[in-house]
Amino acid sequence: MRSTPSHPARRSGSRVLSERPPGHLEVRGLTWRPFGRREPVLPGIDLDLPAGQRVLLAGPSGSGKSTLLRAFAGVLEVADSGERSGTVLLDGEEPGARAGAVGLVLQEPGSGVVSATIGRDVAFGLENIGVPRADQPARVTAALAAVHLEMPQDTPTHALSGGEQQRLALAGALTLEPTLLLLDEPTAMLDPGNAASVRACVAEMVAARSLTAVVVEHRLGPWLDFSDRLVVLDATGRVVADGPPEAVLSQHGESLVSQGIWVPGHPDPEPRGIPVGTFGEPRLGADVVALDAADVTVERSVRRLDGSQRSTVAVDHQWLQARAAQVHALVGPSGSGKSTLMLAVAGLMGRQGGEVRTHPELAAGGSRDPADWDTVDLARVVSWVPQWASSTIVAHTVLDEVMTTSRAVGLVESESLARARALLALLRLDHLAQADPRHLSGGEQRRLAMAAAVVHQPALLLADEATVGQDRLTWAAVLGIVEGLRDAGSAVVLTTHDDAVVARADRTTVLERPSQPAPDPAPRRPLAARCGPLSLLGASALAIPAGVVSPRWPTSLLVIGLVVALASLALWAPGQGAAPHGRVRSVATRMVPGGVAALSVGWSTWLLGGHDLEVSGTAVLRVLIIVLPSAVLIRWVDADALGDHLAQRLHLPARPVVALSAALQRVHTFGDIWAEIARARRVRGIGASRRSPRSGLAELWALTIGMLVRSLQAAAQLAVAMDARGFATAHRRTWAAPARWRAPDTLLLLASLLPVGLAWWAPL
Amino acid sequence: MSTTNRPSSSASTAQTPVTGRRRSILASRPLLAWRTVDLLTVAFLGVAFGIAYWAWGLAYQAPGNALAAVFPPLQGIVGAPWLMAGVVGGLVVRRPGAALFCELIAAVVEALPGSQWGVATLVSGTLQGLGAEVAFAVLGYGVFGIGAAVLAGALSAPLEAVYEWFVYWTDWGWDYKVIYAVVLTVAGAVIAGGVGWLLTRALAKAGALNAFPPGQEVRESRPV
Repeated sequence: MRSTPSHPARRSGSRVLSERPPGHLEVRGLTWRPFGRREPVLPGIDLDLPAGQRVLLAGPSGSGKSTLLRAFAGVLEVADSGERSGTVLLDGEEPGARAGAVGLVLQEPGSGVVSATIGRDVAFGLENIGVPRADQPARVTAALAAVHLEMPQDTPTHALSGGEQQRLALAGALTLEPTLLLLDEPTAMLDPGNAASVRACVAEMVAARSLTAVVVEHRLGPWLDFSDRLVVLDATGRVVADGPPEAVLSQHGESLVSQGIWVPGHPDPEPRGIPVGTFGEPRLGADVVALDAADVTVERSVRRLDGSQRSTVAVDHQWLQARAAQVHALVGPSGSGKSTLMLAVAGLMGRQGGEVRTHPELAAGGSRDPADWDTVDLARVVSWVPQWASSTIVAHTVLDEVMTTSRAVGLVESESLARARALLALLRLDHLAQADPRHLSGGEQRRLAMAAAVVHQPALLLADEATVGQDRLTWAAVLGIVEGLRDAGSAVVLTTHDDAVVARADRTTVLERPSQPAPDPAPRRPLAARCGPLSLLGASALAIPAGVVSPRWPTSLLVIGLVVALASLALWAPGQGAAPHGRVRSVATRMVPGGVAALSVGWSTWLLGGHDLEVSGTAVLRVLIIVLPSAVLIRWVDADALGDHLAQRLHLPARPVVALSAALQRVHTFGDIWAEIARARRVRGIGASRRSPRSGLAELWALTIGMLVRSLQAAAQLAVAMDARGFATAHRRTWAAPARWRAPDTLLLLASLLPVGLAWWAPL
Repeated sequence: MSTTNRPSSSASTAQTPVTGRRRSILASRPLLAWRTVDLLTVAFLGVAFGIAYWAWGLAYQAPGNALAAVFPPLQGIVGAPWLMAGVVGGLVVRRPGAALFCELIAAVVEALPGSQWGVATLVSGTLQGLGAEVAFAVLGYGVFGIGAAVLAGALSAPLEAVYEWFVYWTDWGWDYKVIYAVVLTVAGAVIAGGVGWLLTRALAKAGALNAFPPGQEVRESRPV
């Protein structure tokens, strides 16, 4: 491993004076009560972590482990508000005193990604602490090498796997030379291969730099070799065991197991059987094929903000039979299309090839393909537990949430209510029956989603990673419900990385990652693509006066002719290499709103303006003159470059500008969230229905709120990750990339002045 | 200077009277010290509104033409939804500049996929956001109830209306122009202000604003 150049802060401050190795964490009387909770989440924690110690922090679901980790990092109040007391000191200072002294890696891969490319993302922390641009590349390269990310630095961050994204987060922390590294269940959402790569990376980094490290995890096994201290919290957040891992496990092993912690050497829990008679009679005989998917192919295309599309094969000619009274496990590495296959067979996502047929008994509306069914028909037969349980929440109490689908499909209220209460009790959610489901923890929401999916006893249950993040007790309850439903005659399909789940399944299908078509070599770039964001925006803006000042239609006609000529020039791609394709189509797509508006304006002007064709013609041309330059130019505005130019050329304040480009970076995720919520509503029987126009409006409001909630949660998580990398104090930032004004920028602006001049001075 | 680790917001919460006329919980002081989560939340809200604005740009044509056929200045009604981002941004973050920043980002995002106004949305966004900002500033960034929301919605309209006189409604007489400005203002108060306030409350209840005053108002009113 290469060594990174030393940061000046490393040699200054209290650490040099004390002559002790850095990384000593002292926690005294730490309490935290978030607003809205009667009881504190952290009830008064005292801990002393000597420099270089590796601590494994365990505890049952909801014991405040993640909260404690955020307190260690000094970012508790970044995305939450409440009352805090006590002290946290790292080498005698507040954890935020030196930006980046504490490195933090969050549970969800990608939640801390700031930039479009991996090199730029790693440089984010360096920019925040004001490292000169010239010194940045060496440190970025060293950090990426240390986490074994060997791809080019301009690799898009969204192209990384979950494990690679976690290693990218490690690299981002590493550049700031932390003395304390905090990891919040860093492998919980990864497949075994990726999880192992992340663990190896952490171990290597911590050893090479003698870091103090704290790992939060409730599956202890894989981290035991790494740790030299095990701290266990109980459900109320108190420290109940603390010491060398072997000693703690031998003394407290049984009590840890009974609290739900996954302790190595103890057999997996038995699923908690649900009472006989909870479910009714099956709709199909045992082992009958309930759903038959043949040769299914799904391509996913992501349309980015710039109008470009990238297509990938998500599911490649896959076969799947779900049989009544059987549990079928779908396994395979992340990216192998497990979740997508599940959605495609449930009629929740379009497919590009193959056939899906249910058993004739289950057919609805004359069709055996769930994709054709109305929302209520679909809900009656199929249910789905998504990975993101929070996006499916529709009701205001836990009990109503569980009852939603039963009510939508018109089951007898008293029977389903009894079943709902039994299931909530089994999942340890009964005391929360009247609580607002949106205030539950992530693990609780997942269990709630499971209960809500089975109350109406669907013939087919599809569950996506239903056991992620569950402790032993809730794991046993979730699997108990899955097997209870199976024993009542339903077909169950599960995607999972969990070996214990696979071991209990009746059938297993292993999916491979589909081979992707080789990416095309980089095509030639149009002239417009060689301009910076400011000139692109400025040139688009100059179209407004050009459109407004045209006095009459002959002038407008001349101006639009000139604009079309200039647009063709801007799209021209001289040089060597393959021609870029889709240029004209992309402009045409972007002109659709403008075209519709132009016609509409022309029509109403003609109608209201005394059927004067000249006046209405001028109105149409005016809209086209204003819109066409934007349609050609705006797609070449890059989010990172926009931030660079706004800050360095226009000298706008750095932090708002960075927030803007980070948000623009994620525009494409908004569509995904929207689609996921719409799917969840459809499969739960409350989606938009062709039978009821009113359901369309309700759907619109629900989708809007849902999308906003999810994106604001993402913003809060990103704020934590960014502040852990010094963004809170980044008032004198440097910028990894220069923002130069080049000759093409000047030429573009001059060219855009031509239509304005023509409109103004044309003698027509 | 960092304000992120100061639980200063708790001080303002403590002052909230339990009974009587409820006062708004304010953002942590100093008001101009934007936290990271303030910046990101406004930015993400702006992006979401920008996408919605773009979609409304396609959908509004039908109702807009219908209103134009009745009485052209009534088209101000379908213009009002475009005023909402500033109101919501201001209500959530409660800091100077939040309304303007939010509306401006929405306008940027609306322009990116290609809309019928090109980058003219940036001009509109600035004028609308300034209007909402003026409303919150007049109230000293100290009142954020439904009244403040309605005022912000209303004030988002006048500057925009005047701009539109010269760009989109050049053929109209002054009577139409003035009536249009009045219609846009009233519709802004009701649609952008009223619905914006409802939306903010819904987001707070959904637990999406825990780091913000509206979230605290909801959470402290019914602890779990």
